[in-house]
Amino acid sequence: MIRLDGISKAYGDVTALHSIDLTIKDGEFIAILGPSGCGKTTLLKLLAGFMKPTSGTITINDTVVASAEAVLPPEKRNIGMVFQSFALWPHMTVYEHVQFPLMHHSFAPKADKEQREERVKNVLRMVGLESLAQRYPHELSGGQKQRVSLARAIAPEPGLLLMDEPLSALDAELRMEMRKEIQHIHRHTNASIVYVTHDQSEAFAMADRIVVMNHGKIEQIDRPEMIFTRPETEFVATFVGKCNLIQGKWEEGMFIPKPFPNEKWPDIGVSINLKKKGLYPVRPDQWALSKAKEGSSHGVVKFVQYQGKEMYYIVQVGEEEWTVHELIQHTSRFQVGDPVNLVLQNTVIKKEAVLV
Amino acid sequence: MFPGKEQTKGMTRSMSSFSRFFPLKNLWMGFGFLLIILFFIVPVFRLILLSLTEEGAVSLSNYSEVLKEEQTWITVKNTLYIVIGSTLVSLILGIAMAWVIAYLNISGKKWMQLFIFLPFIIPSYITTLAWVQFFSGNGPIAAVLHMLPGDWKLPNLYSIGGIIFILGLSHYPLVYLLTVEVFRKIPLELEQAAQTCGAKRGTIIRKVILPLALPGICSGGMLAFLSNLDNFGIPAFLGIPANIRVLSTYIYEEVVGFGPAAFARAAVLSILLGAIALIGLSIQWLLLRRSRVIETVKRDKEPRIHLSLTWKRLIEIAVWALLLFTSFVPFVSMGTTSLIKAYGLPFQLENLSLENYRYILFSDPKTMSAISNSMKLAILTTIVSLIVGTAIAYLRYKSPNRWTKLVELFVTIPYALPGTVFALSMIFSWMQPLPGWNPGIYGSIWILIIAYITRFIILQVRGSYTALTQVEPSIEEAARTSGAKPLVKWRRILMPLLLPGIIGGALLVFLTSLTELTVSSLLWSTGAETVGVVIFNYEQAGYTTYSTAFSSLIVLGILFGSFLFISLEKVWRRKVLKQNDSA
Repeated sequence: MIRLDGISKAYGDVTALHSIDLTIKDGEFIAILGPSGCGKTTLLKLLAGFMKPTSGTITINDTVVASAEAVLPPEKRNIGMVFQSFALWPHMTVYEHVQFPLMHHSFAPKADKEQREERVKNVLRMVGLESLAQRYPHELSGGQKQRVSLARAIAPEPGLLLMDEPLSALDAELRMEMRKEIQHIHRHTNASIVYVTHDQSEAFAMADRIVVMNHGKIEQIDRPEMIFTRPETEFVATFVGKCNLIQGKWEEGMFIPKPFPNEKWPDIGVSINLKKKGLYPVRPDQWALSKAKEGSSHGVVKFVQYQGKEMYYIVQVGEEEWTVHELIQHTSRFQVGDPVNLVLQNTVIKKEAVLV
Repeated sequence: MFPGKEQTKGMTRSMSSFSRFFPLKNLWMGFGFLLIILFFIVPVFRLILLSLTEEGAVSLSNYSEVLKEEQTWITVKNTLYIVIGSTLVSLILGIAMAWVIAYLNISGKKWMQLFIFLPFIIPSYITTLAWVQFFSGNGPIAAVLHMLPGDWKLPNLYSIGGIIFILGLSHYPLVYLLTVEVFRKIPLELEQAAQTCGAKRGTIIRKVILPLALPGICSGGMLAFLSNLDNFGIPAFLGIPANIRVLSTYIYEEVVGFGPAAFARAAVLSILLGAIALIGLSIQWLLLRRSRVIETVKRDKEPRIHLSLTWKRLIEIAVWALLLFTSFVPFVSMGTTSLIKAYGLPFQLENLSLENYRYILFSDPKTMSAISNSMKLAILTTIVSLIVGTAIAYLRYKSPNRWTKLVELFVTIPYALPGTVFALSMIFSWMQPLPGWNPGIYGSIWILIIAYITRFIILQVRGSYTALTQVEPSIEEAARTSGAKPLVKWRRILMPLLLPGIIGGALLVFLTSLTELTVSSLLWSTGAETVGVVIFNYEQAGYTTYSTAFSSLIVLGILFGSFLFISLEKVWRRKVLKQNDSA
């Protein structure tokens, strides 16, 4: 188990991390999600041991490995790491890359030459690179390079696997394929994984729990479904769920939206934090549009974007612009300038509420 | 999966030892910082102090005395004429050559580059000797002029014009190097965007290319300016016989002619020279303050203007003619002079012999001792710079903070100072390191060793730093997360990747120290002559055949060394780094 207690990191006057608390269970897949500059990479570097926290401690299995006074360097930790830029050594073959940690990693299982060769072969087979063992990095494609980087990281069977946006340098199709690869590796190594990304679909697809970060602080730690349907903060609601934040009043457990004072919306698990601010998050897919008469409508369609199986609408409601996503087969299509009413789709919400 | 009990113990143990190591580390850092101040900063302060001291008391009398003299102002005027003139020559040649190489689709660019850099790796006093032979009464120019009808006069190199010409030629590679880089970094799209807005070729050059290239052109021009100001060899070889003085040669003449009595005067002149350099640097800073760095760091080596075959051939011929004329032929004529039995005889078979070479190598003990001195100096300087310079570069790279920046600045100062000024500051601070204590460093080879190391270490710092920046930080991080301890990390990952860059820097330190003249001309003593000093002395004494023979040997040595390095680097890239392109 890995525990971070009040970890802060400052670079001069700039504070990159504010008092982070986080516990990572053995074998857990944690995704750290946030926009660039939110401190997620700093957090990863602290976990690796590349730098010292300004305050707080990191504990691995009851041993303090990092504090403001001292830090256990990465080469003495039981970790493996996959880098965004792959970080392959241009003068070594694929085989040598995988062999390197087996020879130097302090926690790699002790092995003689034969066992090591066997292990290299196994790992290369696991990532599908057996036939390329003698190639050099410049002879590999982007996807193959990332497989080498993965193979190198998992070869010594580390307890903790750190991944720094490993897929962001690859094209869309390759990314989908590599997700499967990483899930496969997670199942077969039972290492804990800390996976840093700014792409929420990656986090949703693979993680057991997601840590959403912004401005060096943790906004929410939860299972992917909870992050999506029960955002704790405005940031999580807008960054992850792309929610429209509706202003209004909370009265007796019901929400009275400011633009439509005659309606009452049920509490479907809105966080205390959002309630205090008089907000109600509505995801674009929670709306249904209906035709309205001019003069008595909620709003007017301003933009229409065709997206294949969905339509994206921007609806002007008073001073605000709200985003609405509708499945195409559901309703008739609206044009720019159409007056429309917005209806909260309670049925969908109830289903999710049950699921949660 | 995580460490068991025993391993956990190991973790705690290594941690406590690490924390104990910390104050010790700070102590070492502080000690190193002190040493750097002592070696790199204190000399400059002693120089300033001496210029302000008159018989032990602070006074400005040295200044008022020197500034009153007419000779001072004539020298300053000469210096400005020569430096500005030669910088213009460097700028014109450098920009034109850079534009041709970056923009036109001519072939053989690699070889052209090599020839452009040739005058750069050969010490300027040797280049001067070569040009003097080229324009001499027995040289090829004289022969051509003789064949032409009419009465042509040979241009006299021993003049302000001659000094400007050779300085400009020697330093245009600096302008070329920095300008060709920015030309290649200007995205082609920017030009195309201007074209789609209806701009003509001329407008594009004026409004898009020049403003963007200005930072490169300015830095190149400034480097040329400082090098022209700093240069001692060329004005010494051409100016001293013609009684044309610039500040660097004037300081030299004061110190050599009058000894310690003239030190205070020389110090004042040095401050004057340093002030001109400083003014130049501030102008550059003012010019560059508002210019922006181009966003793309990608270099585009593709030619941007495609010429018709005829034009292409014509330009190729013109470039090669210029390059051969400036970088090759003078050295050939120097080589031929070195083969002539007695200076003045025509270049005919019966007058040729290797007698000059036999004399300098076997009869005159000074030559061999100079070669061995310079070799020893260069090797020692290279080794010390290699270790200390790379360490500084690594610290600077790993922790880019105020302290390491300051260290870099300090280490740059001795190199940025004009050579004569620096040499003088070395004399003042090492003659008596502590007042009243003279350990005999000045007057022995030790002062040269200290001076070379302090002056040239920055070349290694830059070389190693560049090599480090070209290795992504994640490459090193990947080694560490793979469990590599520092020793393994350096041996297996960093060293193989850094070596070509570091060796490149070391080679530059080695070549520069081997043929150094400016600093040595003031710091040498009997028995501690260097190659540059011996060639200079031969030339001063009128032994032109000996000086050309010795110079030819040095040029051959340099070419051989560079060739060796280039081929070794190619082999390294292919065998170790597995790169097939040598770019």
